[in-house]
Amino acid sequence: MTVFHFFNCAILTFGPHAVYYSATPLSEYDTLGTSIKAAVVYLATALVKLICLATFLKVSESDSFDPYQEFLKALIGFIDVAGLYFALTQLTHRNISQNHKFQAVGLGWAFADSVLHRLAPLWVGARGLEFTWDYILQGLEANANLVLSISLAALGSLMWLRKNKPKTLIPIIYLSAGIVATMPSITSYLRRGLGWHFPKVVGFELFTSLVMAFISWQLFAACQRPSV
Amino acid sequence: MAPRKPREREMLFDSVIALVFILVACVDLCDGATVVDVYRLIQYDMSGVPFGSRLASLNHHAASLHFSPHADLSRTVLLIPLRELNMSFVKEYIAESKPLGGLIFLLPRMFSFENKDGMGSNHQDESKEPLKNVLDELEKILIHANLPYPVYFAFEDDNIDAVLTDIKKNDVTGQPATATTGGYKFVVSATEPKKVVSPPITNIQGWLAGLKTDDDAHQLPTIAIVASYDTFGAAPALSVGSDSNGSGIVALLEVARLFSLLYSNPKTRGQYNLLFGLTSGGPYNYNGTHKWLRSFDQRLRESIDYAICLDSIGSWENELWIHVSKPPENAFIKKIHEDFSSVAEELGFKVNLKHKKINISNPRVAWEHEQFSRLRVTAATLSELSTAPEFLEKTGGLVDGRHFVNEAAIVRSVKLIAESLARHIYGHQGKNIQIFADNSNLAVNPSYVRSWLDVLSQTPRVAPFFSKSDPFVMALKKELEDHTDDVNLHRDVLDGIVTFYDSTSTKLNIYQVASVTFDLLLLLVLGSYLIVLFSFLVITTRGLDDLISLFRRPPSRKVKTA
Repeated sequence: MTVFHFFNCAILTFGPHAVYYSATPLSEYDTLGTSIKAAVVYLATALVKLICLATFLKVSESDSFDPYQEFLKALIGFIDVAGLYFALTQLTHRNISQNHKFQAVGLGWAFADSVLHRLAPLWVGARGLEFTWDYILQGLEANANLVLSISLAALGSLMWLRKNKPKTLIPIIYLSAGIVATMPSITSYLRRGLGWHFPKVVGFELFTSLVMAFISWQLFAACQRPSV
Repeated sequence: MAPRKPREREMLFDSVIALVFILVACVDLCDGATVVDVYRLIQYDMSGVPFGSRLASLNHHAASLHFSPHADLSRTVLLIPLRELNMSFVKEYIAESKPLGGLIFLLPRMFSFENKDGMGSNHQDESKEPLKNVLDELEKILIHANLPYPVYFAFEDDNIDAVLTDIKKNDVTGQPATATTGGYKFVVSATEPKKVVSPPITNIQGWLAGLKTDDDAHQLPTIAIVASYDTFGAAPALSVGSDSNGSGIVALLEVARLFSLLYSNPKTRGQYNLLFGLTSGGPYNYNGTHKWLRSFDQRLRESIDYAICLDSIGSWENELWIHVSKPPENAFIKKIHEDFSSVAEELGFKVNLKHKKINISNPRVAWEHEQFSRLRVTAATLSELSTAPEFLEKTGGLVDGRHFVNEAAIVRSVKLIAESLARHIYGHQGKNIQIFADNSNLAVNPSYVRSWLDVLSQTPRVAPFFSKSDPFVMALKKELEDHTDDVNLHRDVLDGIVTFYDSTSTKLNIYQVASVTFDLLLLLVLGSYLIVLFSFLVITTRGLDDLISLFRRPPSRKVKTA
């Protein structure tokens, strides 16, 4: 990878976060503090997850897909949901409406995730000579992750912050939230259980994130309707 | 205005989804870096004239033989399999001194000494002989050429074959290596090759003392059996020289073993001393032999009845040659020839005599026995070659490997040598007595021959790259100590007509790289993507702004972004 390619991949990985912040009213309503707090909560959640993974998971010699270990990983993955709940409900938000709050939290969450998981491999890869498509695919994966994070934040906002939800939509909201929350386990199963290659996994992630974003958007819009 | 926005958003969604799938379809994940062992063409000066590969480090894009005729190759490494080699191409590029970034020749695995049993070969081995001839000719051209770029040899394996297939595909479609597709970059990180100062040579000498009667006051005569053990080839790290002169070494060791059995018993000890010599510097006019002989004292030199030198006796079929420098009418030469030819006749093959006069003013020493003859010692060379090789030819190069040596031929050679020596020592001329008959306790041991041949076929032995206490030299010394008395190492320095440079083997890293053009295109794509994303978000935000700017709350305008 050359330095030029490194910058290209960094733009692909972190650029959409900046674009989202500047293009939406988030920048006008001073939600940067909320995003930073959400990022800090994400780091703390990641630390807790790391401790739980180290405590409860045994290191498998083979790379085979172990259903019990994967189930345990999925359970530990729900710590993310707890962290998101904390970020959405417990953090103090100065005069920020509900619409902007979940977007700010989702954006901060996704940015922290990209920094934690992709910045280091990107930097290490910049030293090598080898060109691979991996870093471009990682950037695309960061985009999918941003969409998923905002979708999960939207669904979380509906579940925990909105009181008067239509009763017929509640199961759909919980089902969608469950699907989005288990997406890391689903991709892990596709990669190691079914043996999918990285490009295929990234394509699936992009497609699924867009579908879940559309569904979340529709649910959010539907829940807005009876309030007027 | 209100009904148009949902349709616009859905169209944008569809476009993004379509773009994503197109991008995913175009992605083709390739393998990572490949590391291949490569062996450098030898670099040497002869009387100050440079020869061989004059560079070691490499950092260029790769191409195959299917490059465009107008391509500039001065910053390109050509990856050429031996199976597709066109000799006129090599001659043209070398003779016209056309610029190249580098050359890498891919050799079949049959030429690798690590591929002893032939396993893992993807190709048929039925085309052995033509490939051997091509490699022999290529080696001659490369050794005598001055190439100002790095030249390496590598062996075929799955990784580099896949890389070569990719490179060929790119070259056939006419895409230069610096296009959007990128290509492969070959990198060898090596320091500047340094001269090998005072290259050491080591001669190993063993002695079997003859039976001395008390009433005999004069010195016992001596018979010398000599073989040169080091090699020279296009790639020093691959010059194992199974035939030249691994076969000679094996034969000498086996003869020493057989005669040590005879000489260990006073009843069967002969009245001749036996002197075994493993000499160095063979490819360079037998320089080691020359120095070894000059270290002899006068009495030892005068006591030598004759010397028999063994050279390349591992791949003959029906006839061997005895090369001499004295006229065939000489009584000693005639006796040697009679001894050898009578034993050969009994064993079912033929030994021919070949006389080549020594030109004293010519520094070229074609056979090892000529070093003895220049000192007036009767000597001969036993070889499968009918004519003398040229300087630095047939010295154990790339084609001289285990696959092309027949151990049965060595066994027959040992039998011939041992039986002929025994007739001379014990005076059995004219009698049909076989001391080393098959199935006797003095039979030639084929497994001994095979074991040593395997060891020699895995040991590159180019003299300047041997250390003074090389484990191989120590192994030869120990083996000679097992069979003879008074084993000595005679150390000296190779004379200075040939100067060598180091860096004989290294690792080649193969990277798949993207070009700057590709990254520029990628930057454009990313910029467009971010602009589209920004516009999409602003459009959805504009609906929200409209909501805020309007102080009424109509139900149809309450759409929110997800």
